[in-house]
Amino acid sequence: MQLRRQPLSAPRPGDTRPAAQRLAVPLLLLLALQGAAASGEPEDSGWLQDAEPSSRLLSQAARAALHFFNFRAASPSALQVLANVLDGRAWVNQKKEYKFDLVFTTEFYRAEEGEKRLGTCSAQVFFRNDKPRPAVNVTCTQLIKKERRQEEDYQLYKLMKQLKSPLNAVRIPDSHGYIAPSLRPIWNLAFLGSSYVMWQKTTPFLHYFMSQISSVKQWKTNDDAIDFDYTVLLHEFSTQEIIPCRIHLVWYPGKPLKVKYHCQERQTPEEGSGTEEGSAVALTELSNF
Amino acid sequence: MKPLLGTFYLLGMLVPGWLGYDRSLTQQRQEVVGKVVSPWRILETYPYNRYHPMGEIYQWMSEIREKYTEVVTQHFLGMTYESRPMYYLKISQPSNNPKKIIWMDCGIHAREWIAPAFCQWFVKEILQNYKDSSRIRRLLKNLDFYVLPVLNIDGYIYTWTTDRLWRKSRSSHNNGTCFGTDLNRNFDASWCSIGASHNCESLTFCGTGPMSEPETKAVSSFIESKKENIACFLTMHSYGQLILVPYGYTTNKSNNHEELIQVGQKAANALKAKHGTNYRVGSSADILYATSGSSRDWARDIGIPFSYTFELRDNGTYGFVLPETQIQATCEETMEAVLSVLDDVYEKYWYTNSAIKAKSTALVLSLLMSIMSLL
Repeated sequence: MQLRRQPLSAPRPGDTRPAAQRLAVPLLLLLALQGAAASGEPEDSGWLQDAEPSSRLLSQAARAALHFFNFRAASPSALQVLANVLDGRAWVNQKKEYKFDLVFTTEFYRAEEGEKRLGTCSAQVFFRNDKPRPAVNVTCTQLIKKERRQEEDYQLYKLMKQLKSPLNAVRIPDSHGYIAPSLRPIWNLAFLGSSYVMWQKTTPFLHYFMSQISSVKQWKTNDDAIDFDYTVLLHEFSTQEIIPCRIHLVWYPGKPLKVKYHCQERQTPEEGSGTEEGSAVALTELSNF
Repeated sequence: MKPLLGTFYLLGMLVPGWLGYDRSLTQQRQEVVGKVVSPWRILETYPYNRYHPMGEIYQWMSEIREKYTEVVTQHFLGMTYESRPMYYLKISQPSNNPKKIIWMDCGIHAREWIAPAFCQWFVKEILQNYKDSSRIRRLLKNLDFYVLPVLNIDGYIYTWTTDRLWRKSRSSHNNGTCFGTDLNRNFDASWCSIGASHNCESLTFCGTGPMSEPETKAVSSFIESKKENIACFLTMHSYGQLILVPYGYTTNKSNNHEELIQVGQKAANALKAKHGTNYRVGSSADILYATSGSSRDWARDIGIPFSYTFELRDNGTYGFVLPETQIQATCEETMEAVLSVLDDVYEKYWYTNSAIKAKSTALVLSLLMSIMSLL
């Protein structure tokens, strides 16, 4: 691995910045601070650029950025998955922390074959040792117009409200990969909740995919919001482990997603759990975690 | 002989099945494990675009053997941990030509259902087309295909009866408190040096020693006995959409790495041309992660020149639980990739013959033309 000293990149010429996604202010501040620090004192930053970052590492970072993006968009009808990494640069410091600068394409996360519209995202991803989750700054092209997305979310929401409680649905999808059309909204919403968890848990060495919903504990729609309590099986790629995660989320179209989770890790002594900060509505106390 | 074999494998499947299963799945399990009679006893209606439990795959093998007796034979490879028979199908056009062997195995990891589905598809495609397709006819002139549709039979059955996401075999360890070896970490290729675990609880448990598992022993002793004649070793997995060349246990490259990449890239291009699916090509250590004890690395190290791991669809959207609606497209594109590899393997060994013929034909033609121009 060749290393050379270089500050964090400034935007490259020809870099198009389409209509920006609304980003959390703290993250913008963090980025500005990093940018200022880096440009001010390149020699002290301790960052060495990896001249040949592996495509696996870049993909992992891109996925982390996308999980965060999907979570923040809180739109189960507009979930995106990674298509290809077009360009990626990586830096590592003495503390073995990683930073990435990425450009990648995305596809809609849809059941239907042939929906091959590609979006583009650019992202900076920062894996720190002291914080459990990567810091992400990500901008993506709009795959569908905001109005249409809101409309589709609302349609999805109406479908969910009509759904009788699917507590007896054993697994979604079933062993043959089949998801009944009526259960598809549940799958999308579960993926949205899982995106939060997968963002939290992704490291340069661990990355996740959602395999199956293994059980539904609760599906409440009597109040305005959808209150969804379920267990999902996450597949961690480098260890090949299947990690069951209990997720409890509350969703209403157009509102930020509120989510709590608890994963059963076999390998690590402590079990991973977390809550979304700054939620205005207090979640019901979860008793049997 | 046949009824005896039938009874043998029926018993072999049923007996271990009664040990320690989930009672609520009794009914389903009985149907799955004991199933030999099925609605489509005529091979023509066997649904290749559906997933099949092991009982149906055993029966399918028998029917294939019975229908295509002129080119197909079924052979016993060994017994699994739970005492089930492992069979491979040999597809061979009888002739006096010298033959090289192409080996393909599927389902070394139990949950990767699309892989055994592809092995069955591959066999079907070859047998349904070898008379009409000049491409396949040519391959069969000098290549014999050995196909093992399910390597990890115990694990595969377990994914049907108990845990859809099970990966390993079903060997028992630590006094019956821990189950399963990752068969693709159990081969004697820098065994358990990296990317594998000595802990039975791990999903990448490498076993109690290299080749400790009966399934690994069965495959490796057979391959070892035929290695001089094996030109190509293909092992099918999912998911990730990758064509992997050696090695996983080191970033060093095999001495024919360039050629393997070239052939692999050509295969990926052929695959993409079918339905637009993108596959990446590279060494396991480079584009996936470090692993040791893999069958592909072991095959290369004992001298088999072309050794590939295929990681089939998809890229993580459904992962192991790939919808049946995608089986056909996945198999069609993978078929193109595999045939591309086989074409290249064929040409490598028999190119000189055809090249000499082509050159001499060209020479004669040009002589004729120059004579005619003089007239």
